[in-house]
Amino acid sequence: MSELRNIYKIISNKKVCPRFYHLKIEAPKLVKNVRPGQFIHIRVRDSVEPFFRRPFCVYRAQDSIDILYEVVGKGTALLSAKKKNDQLDILGPLGNTFSMPPEGVQTVVMIAGGIGVAPFLFLTDQLKTRPVHLILLYGGRTKEHIFSLAPFKKNGCKIYTATDDGSVGVRGRVSELFFHVPKDSRGTWIYTCGPKPMMASAQQFAQEHQINGEASCEEVMACGLGACLGCATKTKEGYKTVCYDGPVFDLNELVF
Amino acid sequence: MNLNVSIGSIVFDNPVTVASGTFSAAEKFYGLKGWKRLGAIVPKTITLHAREGNPPPRIWETPAGMINAIGLENAGTKAFITDKLPGLASIGRPLIISVLGYSVEEFQSIVELLAGSPEIVAIELNLSCPNLKQKKLVAQDPQAAQQIVAAVKRISSKPMIAKLSPNVTDITEIAQAVEAAGADAISLVNTFSAMAIDIHKQKPVLGNITGGLSGPAIRPIAVCMVYQTYKKVNIPIIGMGGIMTAGDAIEFILAGATMVAVGTANFIQPQVPLDVLNGIRQYMKDRKIADVKDLIGAAHRA
Ligand SMILES: Cc1cc2nc3c(=O)[nH]c(=O)nc-3n(C[C@H](O)[C@H](O)[C@H](O)COP(=O)(O)OP(=O)(O)OC[C@H]3O[C@@H](n4cnc5c(N)ncnc54)[C@H](O)[C@@H]3O)c2cc1C
Ligand SMILES: Cc1cc2nc3c(=O)[nH]c(=O)nc-3n(C[C@H](O)[C@H](O)[C@H](O)COP(=O)(O)O)c2cc1C
Ligand code: FES
Repeated sequence: MSELRNIYKIISNKKVCPRFYHLKIEAPKLVKNVRPGQFIHIRVRDSVEPFFRRPFCVYRAQDSIDILYEVVGKGTALLSAKKKNDQLDILGPLGNTFSMPPEGVQTVVMIAGGIGVAPFLFLTDQLKTRPVHLILLYGGRTKEHIFSLAPFKKNGCKIYTATDDGSVGVRGRVSELFFHVPKDSRGTWIYTCGPKPMMASAQQFAQEHQINGEASCEEVMACGLGACLGCATKTKEGYKTVCYDGPVFDLNELVF
Repeated sequence: MNLNVSIGSIVFDNPVTVASGTFSAAEKFYGLKGWKRLGAIVPKTITLHAREGNPPPRIWETPAGMINAIGLENAGTKAFITDKLPGLASIGRPLIISVLGYSVEEFQSIVELLAGSPEIVAIELNLSCPNLKQKKLVAQDPQAAQQIVAAVKRISSKPMIAKLSPNVTDITEIAQAVEAAGADAISLVNTFSAMAIDIHKQKPVLGNITGGLSGPAIRPIAVCMVYQTYKKVNIPIIGMGGIMTAGDAIEFILAGATMVAVGTANFIQPQVPLDVLNGIRQYMKDRKIADVKDLIGAAHRA
C-alpha cells in the first residue's frame, strides 16, 4: 500500500571492494522509522524482469539509508549500475529487529560471514553507547570480500578476520575465530548473520557453551510482508516467515 | 457510475478482489486504508486440520512470474475462526473464504464450521485437492468436482464459488459440470503445474519438487480460459492470472469475468488492487460507460 511504498532518490552507489557496493539512499522517513535488523524490499527495475523485489537489510541509518550489497545475480547487477539521482521503489521498513542484549551481558560477539556483516554496523551504532565490549568475527571468504571495517572500529568493535585462502587474517572459516568468544553463558551474547552452514556452526558453539543470542536469516522472498508464506524457515516451533516473524530469530530456536 | 456486481444473492461494491493465498497472514497490515475499498477479500485457503506446509524453498522467481509450492500452510478451520477471522472482519469488507477438504465430508465440515460467521458472504471451493480414488485432482474430474459442489450446496445457503485448476484438457467441461451441480460462480484460474531445476546442484529447486506458476507469464492463457468458459456457462466468473494493471483486469472483464482477483502482483506492488480499481473507474469514465456490467464479456459481442 501507499503507506509502505515510496520512491526514493539515490545519493551515491560506490564499489567498496571487488565484491561489495555501498548504496546511499535519500529517505528521511525510513531513517526515522527503521530499527537495526530490519530490511527494505527494493524493486530494482520497473519491469516484470526481474520479477521479485530484492531484500536488503539496512547497513546504516544516519543521514541516509545505507545498503551494503554483494553482486551475485541479475538483480544486484542491475542495482550496481544505478547512478546518483536515479530513483528506487522501496517497501519498508519490514521485518522485526534485533533485541538488545539482556541485563548482565558484558560482551557482544557478532559472527558474520561475507555480506552477512551488513546488519551489524547499524546494530553497533546503537550498542556503542552501552557498557558492553563489542567483538566482530568476520569471515571474509577471499580478499575480494574484504572492505574497510573502519566504521566498526570507530564504534568500538574489536575485529578478527578470517579468509578461506588466508590472504587476510586467519586462514579458514569464521569458526577458526570462535576461540575469541568468552565462554560465559550469562556474560556473552551472540548475533550472527551469514551462510546457513556458518550460522549452524555458531549455533553449535553457542549451545555447547550455553550462550544465547540471535541470528538474522535469509530465504528467497516474494512479498516481504508475510502474505505469501514463501520465505518459510524451520524453527523448533515449526515454519516461520523470515520476512514477517524474522529476519531475526532466537539463535537456539532455528533448525538448520 | 455503477461498479456493483453480484454473485448469487450477494452484491459487491466493485469487482476487484484479491486471489487466495496472496493476501492475509499479515495482520500488521490490516489497518492499511487501501484494503477498505476492495469489493471483497479472499484469504488463503483453509483446511479442516492444521497443515505445516512444504519444506523450503517454497518459491522461485521465473520470467514474468513465480513458481510456488507453499503446501497450504494454515492453522486449520477452528484456529482460523478464533485467531484470524476477527482481524479479517475488522477490515470491514465482505469475506469470501477459500476452503479445501480431503474428502467430501471434510468440505462439508469446514462449511458447517464457517456457517455461524455473518461476515463470510460466500465460500470458494479450492478444488485443487487430491481426488482420493483416482490419481488426480478433483478439479480434473468432472464427477468428483460435481459431487463436492452438490454436497456443500445441500448444507449451506451461502453462495459457492468453484475454483478450477487450469491443468486440464478442457476447462469448460469442468466449468459446466460444477454449474450443473449448483455452483453460484467459478474462479478461473489456479496456478499451472511447473518446476525449476538448479543446474549447479542438478536437482529441483523447490522443496516440494513441483509447484504452480503464476504471474503475468500465465495471463494470456488465463484470459483465454475465461473467454472459452464464458461462452459455455451462465454463472459469473471471477477472473485471475497475472493481473498487474487495470488494463490486465479489464481484459479479463471483456473476456467474461464478473469479478477480477489480483494475486501474485500483491507481492510486487501491494497497491495493485487499488490501482486496478481506480484504473477501471478511469477507463469507464473515459469511455462514458455507466455500468461495469456492460463491459462483462463485451469482447464476445464485438
Ligand atoms: C532479510 C534479508 C536481508 C538481506 N540483506 C542483504 C544485504 O544487506 N546485502 C546483500 O548483499 N544481500 C542481502 N540479502 C541477500 C539479497 O537479497 C540477495 O543477494 C539478492 O536478492 C540476490 O538477487 P540477484 O538477482 O542478484 O541474485 P539471483 O541469484 O539472480 O536471484 C534469484 C532469486 O533468488 C533470490 N536470492 C538470491 N540470493 C538470495 C539470498 N542470499 N537471500 C535471499 N534471496 C536470495 C533473489 O531475490 C531472486 O528472487 C538479504 C536477504 C534477505 C532475505
Ligand atoms: C504464493 C501463492 C499462494 C497461493 N495460495 C493459494 C491458495 O491457498 N488457494 C488458492 O485457491 N489459490 C492459491 N494461489 C493461486 C492464486 O490464488 C491464483 O489463482 C493464481 O496465482 C493466479 O493468479 P495470479 O497470477 O494473479 O497470482 C496461490 C498463489 C500463489 C502465488
Ligand atoms: S516473502 Fe512472502 S511471506 Fe515472506
